[in-house]
Amino acid sequence: MKNQIYDVLRTALENPMDQGVKNMLKGFWISVEKSLILVIVCLPILMNPVALWDAIAAGPTPGDVVNCDIQRGPCTQDLAGMTVTLDILPRPVRAMKDLEFRVTVSGGNPVKAAYIDLGMPGMDMGPNRVELRPVKDNVYEGEGIIVRCPSGRRTWKATVTLPESGKVEFLFDVIY
Amino acid sequence: MSSIDALYFLFLVTGFTVGFGHCIGMCGPIVVSLSLNLKGKSVLIPHLLYNAGRVITYAVLGGLAGILGSFTMLASSIVSLQKGVLVFAGVLVLFMGLAMAGGIPFGRIFGDGGAGSSVLSKWFGRLSAAKSPIVYLPLGLLLGLLPCGPVYTALIASARAGMGAESALEGFFSGMSLMIAFGVGTLPSLVLIGRLSSMGWIRSRPLIYKISSGLMVLAGIYFVIQGIRY
Repeated sequence: MKNQIYDVLRTALENPMDQGVKNMLKGFWISVEKSLILVIVCLPILMNPVALWDAIAAGPTPGDVVNCDIQRGPCTQDLAGMTVTLDILPRPVRAMKDLEFRVTVSGGNPVKAAYIDLGMPGMDMGPNRVELRPVKDNVYEGEGIIVRCPSGRRTWKATVTLPESGKVEFLFDVIY
Repeated sequence: MSSIDALYFLFLVTGFTVGFGHCIGMCGPIVVSLSLNLKGKSVLIPHLLYNAGRVITYAVLGGLAGILGSFTMLASSIVSLQKGVLVFAGVLVLFMGLAMAGGIPFGRIFGDGGAGSSVLSKWFGRLSAAKSPIVYLPLGLLLGLLPCGPVYTALIASARAGMGAESALEGFFSGMSLMIAFGVGTLPSLVLIGRLSSMGWIRSRPLIYKISSGLMVLAGIYFVIQGIRY
């Protein structure tokens, strides 16, 4: 196949005006174009049955393992020699409600301009950032909202960023 | 560039990127259905009108979020409406899929001469037989209310923009402008999908047409189930 394409291209370069070669190239291009269009057109209608299966299975996306049971209490992770604890209130943590995000950092220097990015694993939900402000030593708070995904998926990701130290990800399930 | 200008630009770009990912998956079946329903007529104007309707609805919602300064207040007041719109969209896609496959018991509903007698079939018949593409504008206005994660995210930003405004009017315009930027960003993907799915060679291939109609039926069922569960 590759050699055939090279032959066609070589012939076209040697004799660009050859009508037969022109037709072959045109046919080849139309086939590629049709394949691309078929994929693009079928994608939207194929993706919904996939999403339907996701909703029926009602589990987290494979590869995105829930590492935080936020409904039971705060979650903790290590970051560059520090301990980062995330809490979301009020509990139960529900989508489409005003929520308070609290981050506690221990074992490090005071943090400047920390923030949390909220998103859904494997699905672009747009930029949803919670700016954190210091409320007391090593404790930062901010208000935010976790939105509801009509696909029925409930697993959300909160990426806590401490600009001078790095970031940690908390994956948890919310209630709709 | 001020922080507000940067925010508009951010949501314009977000609309563009989300459009080619999220929107194609969630709203694509509706757009493909509309294109196939046009049966060879020009699709550009109907799709532009459909998308204009969608963006107008986003703008109004953004304005309201800006005035209220609260996303949750707005969301809780429109949730029932959104549920209904999701079910409606599902029924729309489902019927279009069934009609394309020729598998509905009361005959083809798309104005091929055998229109059914139910209110729904008459409505679909009108949609298909409409000489003026203006009918796609109210459809876009209605389907702009479909529940959608990225739209919610943009509305949160609109509400925050409204909170920082000095007056209700300024809040309204801030929220509205942000949602217009987001909506305009989603246009290229959905207009492109609409345009591509109307190409003659797809409609002239009975097998592709049948497969598409089957997938549309599945997508319609999915929307209805999600609407009931929402």
